[in-house]
Amino acid sequence: MGTGPPVKTSEEKAKRKLSLPFLAPVHSLLAGWVGLTLWLLLLLLLALYPYTGVSSVALFVGSQIFVLVTLASNWNLIGGMTGYVDFGHAVFFGIGAYIMGILVTGSPLLISPEWGFWQALPASGVAAALFALLIGLPTLRLKGPYFSIAMLGTLVAMREIARVLRPFTGGGVGLNLPPLLNRLGDYYLMLAVMGLVVSIIWWIQRSQFGQSLIAIREDEIGAEMRGINTTLHKIVAFMIAAFFTGIVGGFWAWQNTYIDPDVVFVEARTVEMVMMSMLGGLGTVWGPPLGAVVIYFLQDLLWGSLFGVHLVALGVLLVVIVLFMPEGILGTLGDRSSTSLGRLLSRVGRSK
Amino acid sequence: MASDQQPLLEGHTVSKYFGGLAAVNNVDFAIYPGEIVGLIGPNGSGKTTLFDCLSRLQNIDSGKVFFKGRDVTRARPYQVARMGLTRTFQSVRVYRKMTVHRNMLISHQWRDTSILSMLQPSRASTAQRAYQLLDFLQIRHLADEEAGHLSGGQRRLLEIGMALMPDPDILLLDEATSGVNPTLIETIKDRIRTLNEQGKTFLLIEHNINFIADLCSRVYVLNYGEKLAEGTPQKILQNEAVIDAYFGA
Repeated sequence: MGTGPPVKTSEEKAKRKLSLPFLAPVHSLLAGWVGLTLWLLLLLLLALYPYTGVSSVALFVGSQIFVLVTLASNWNLIGGMTGYVDFGHAVFFGIGAYIMGILVTGSPLLISPEWGFWQALPASGVAAALFALLIGLPTLRLKGPYFSIAMLGTLVAMREIARVLRPFTGGGVGLNLPPLLNRLGDYYLMLAVMGLVVSIIWWIQRSQFGQSLIAIREDEIGAEMRGINTTLHKIVAFMIAAFFTGIVGGFWAWQNTYIDPDVVFVEARTVEMVMMSMLGGLGTVWGPPLGAVVIYFLQDLLWGSLFGVHLVALGVLLVVIVLFMPEGILGTLGDRSSTSLGRLLSRVGRSK
Repeated sequence: MASDQQPLLEGHTVSKYFGGLAAVNNVDFAIYPGEIVGLIGPNGSGKTTLFDCLSRLQNIDSGKVFFKGRDVTRARPYQVARMGLTRTFQSVRVYRKMTVHRNMLISHQWRDTSILSMLQPSRASTAQRAYQLLDFLQIRHLADEEAGHLSGGQRRLLEIGMALMPDPDILLLDEATSGVNPTLIETIKDRIRTLNEQGKTFLLIEHNINFIADLCSRVYVLNYGEKLAEGTPQKILQNEAVIDAYFGA
């Protein structure tokens, strides 16, 4: 009696042991305007980067990293901040990609005339957000691992639906998009999307809306009882995360010029988002972008030096991270806003 | 008690079943503005379930609940909270990973739910109010601690503070004194009295009979989900049926 949700003393002790108190002011500065200013400066530098005479490969790498950062940050909004560990988030990526594919090719649906890229891109995001509304209403009622599994199921179901709806999606054959190579344009577009998404997450984190999301993560019943309309908050967060994931999906389809169900509705993409957020620090603003960059270069490094067993090496490394740094890089460095995947997934017993 | 007044919180034949078990069975009650009412009964008598029904965490199977004259039988928890009914929990619910001050801010923010204000950080006036309340509850010095690091008694005080943040009309306190040391119990008692003088209405679940006898003007006794008795604490404590059920004759 009077104990409340189980006290995880060992976990708390471990955290206190690891947290570095002298870094606390740094974390609070980064969460405030200083953090945003530094971020905008970084964006400015990245915007000037193409003028240093770099190759188109470097620009391609840049846009790939921006995509990963955007995806990780988006996932973090629903997974890390709101605490709904979405194992099927790639479904929004896939929907964005397919909406882009269908609209710009036009042929399977006989859309005439075909849409341009700039018209189709927002449509990708909107379609993903609407799908999030539709699927979120039932699934966001589930807690902990039940939600995760429901979303994983949604992803698999959508892959099969895309395969079956041949007249619209080209079925297993997929869709070929017009090949228009513009590395510089891609770079700037994804830089802008990434800049916007991370800034939005920064803003949300310090707003009352974001604090409500964290309250939902920490104790949903308590939050509801203290006047927070939890359903509305969860749906809005889910739709924002889905919107930008859809935009990235649409962009990816355009850049890749080919999509089929097995390349866009793929579990590995969700795993990637979870991994990057977790490595950086779930629930923090700067953790997931950091995690995304680290994982990108780590993959690159391992691929170069340990080709053949690079995926095994990456897997082992991640297991080590989960075991010894459950709150990610920023959590280990004492950022109090971070949380661990284990904590989020064990929430199920606390629903009442 | 002024019976010509409209009750603040009122229940008509409220029932809640868990399978075949009637956790709350045809309970009638009325709580008037400015009262401190006690709710006592043996373990498993349905007190917390009744609280859950009133704060809308549990669905009510039959009967009706009115708050400020409005039917809230089917309302969502956040709706009754926004109407001015807040509560604490038998097992304390605070946001462990947040600081004490942040806990207080979170409990207030729905006073203004316009999109513009949701996009802003909490106002300075809210932060000020949180500090005042923490002062009032004598836990101001813990404002920057993580709530998870507080002792059980301090968490209870924090939870009461959180319930007070939005300036509610009625507070439902579920065993506010369990696991709290005697000095702190006196503090809580004193604070409830002060708040009551300022016009707040209280409904208290308590096992501590002295606490109830000192504070409450009226007491409801539940047993096996049914209302066994109601009246002044003095009258209740002499009621044979109550003594039988509660103290186990």
